[in-house]
Amino acid sequence: MMLGLSTGRMLPPWQIFCIVLLISEGFGEGQTIPAAGGHPDLTGVYQSIPQGVTLPGGLKNSGDPSGVALQPSAIEQLKKVDLKEDAARLCLPVGPFRMMARNKTKIELAPGPGTLVMLFEDIAHGNMRTIHLARTHPAKVASSWMGDSTGKWEGDTFVIDTVGFDERIWLNEKGAQHSDAFHLVERIRVLVEGKVLEYRVTAEDPKVLKQPYTYTRIFQKLDTEIMDDFCEVKE
Amino acid sequence: MKPSLFAIAIGLAASWWAVLPAADLSSSAGHNNHPEWAGFFDITPQVHEGEHYVPSHPGPFDPVNPNLDELVQAHLKPWALEKMKETNGLADDLGAVCQSSGIFRYPTSAGSFLWLPEKDEILMISKDINVAGVRRIYMNRNHPKNPSPSWLGDSVGRWEGDTLVVDTVSFNDKTWLSYGMEPHSEELHVIERVRKAAPDRMEIQTFVEDRETLTSPYTFTRFYKQNGTESPEHLCNAEPGEMRQWSAWRNTALKAESAGTAK
Repeated sequence: MMLGLSTGRMLPPWQIFCIVLLISEGFGEGQTIPAAGGHPDLTGVYQSIPQGVTLPGGLKNSGDPSGVALQPSAIEQLKKVDLKEDAARLCLPVGPFRMMARNKTKIELAPGPGTLVMLFEDIAHGNMRTIHLARTHPAKVASSWMGDSTGKWEGDTFVIDTVGFDERIWLNEKGAQHSDAFHLVERIRVLVEGKVLEYRVTAEDPKVLKQPYTYTRIFQKLDTEIMDDFCEVKE
Repeated sequence: MKPSLFAIAIGLAASWWAVLPAADLSSSAGHNNHPEWAGFFDITPQVHEGEHYVPSHPGPFDPVNPNLDELVQAHLKPWALEKMKETNGLADDLGAVCQSSGIFRYPTSAGSFLWLPEKDEILMISKDINVAGVRRIYMNRNHPKNPSPSWLGDSVGRWEGDTLVVDTVSFNDKTWLSYGMEPHSEELHVIERVRKAAPDRMEIQTFVEDRETLTSPYTFTRFYKQNGTESPEHLCNAEPGEMRQWSAWRNTALKAESAGTAK
């Protein structure tokens, strides 16, 4: 007996035996998609689920950038902030910490040369993130809107480490500022055969925050394309 | 249960044999959209907006039809020329406040982008992303039957040898053909032929037609130098105060325009 695959080529019995053996031993049994290098393939378009929704397995969003606990000096600093200067009102990037928490954020992950590129449907506020896979942070990081991001795999979790945000990035819509010690660690776990990403981000800033703060967002993989969505400044 | 190494090795060998005839093994990235082109590209020589470009050192990579304003205006129908003259370059131009200005202005002047070939699409990510956005060239489908007009249009690509032919339709009519406020209609149709003119040089030849707006099609060419895989971020009007100021100017111009219309 011969088995035909999608190529139209027929397999002899010994190869069918090998494939059956492979499947019977558990290949593909886990919740991740094997890809190049043995890591899950993150390529695709994803959108975070709305607040209050729980997926099977108890997967749901929790926390929000507004929940950060500020030190007294940072609370005092809030009084000087002009909320009209908020990048969110001016079609400028809000930084990953705020952007990933936004309602139903739609992202696209694409492999680049030595990088993973993260794009957003809301281009103006999300901008583009370049996560470097083949290097560590430079000894002297030039501050920028999106910071300097490096990424590595820890099992089925992709870990992004980001430093070097400039002062135009706020911690939340209340105008909470950060210091040069602001540091983000994002952990993206691939679940449900690649159809779901669990995104957990921890913000650290010992000069501003009372303690590190973590929130979670659940992203579902979409079978749709990202549309161009430009922002219009409103006064 | 975890598979043994023996089973994995034999199983993979059998699977590889089975799929080999259909698999694309021509590139390390597993697709044939020239993954080696991935990286940042900068227009060269720089073509300044609104200025006549005169090459000081003529060479093989000088732009063809460098003065886009002049080229476009020579092809505009009378109504389009009239509209161009009536358009307020501040009030009516989203590009003035760093919002979408279409696919022609930024790429043909300060153009700098990240080219990312993937299996089913090729991404062209403009460095001034808030102005020129991300163009997605779909390699796995045709244009939709009933597309919605959009800022950057719907782009599909195919290879003719080593030349990528990009066909783009379904633009909205809110952007401009160049810096001189030259309008276009939703009938705008663009065909770009993208190839490597040299190992580090991308050539993009652009053919533009719009039967509503143009008396005949026109073509121009720009060259882009490949500049590595990392580039510092850059945004148009990146300072909040700067952005707010430009917005205020635009709003003032809009109010003045509106008052003039009411008289």
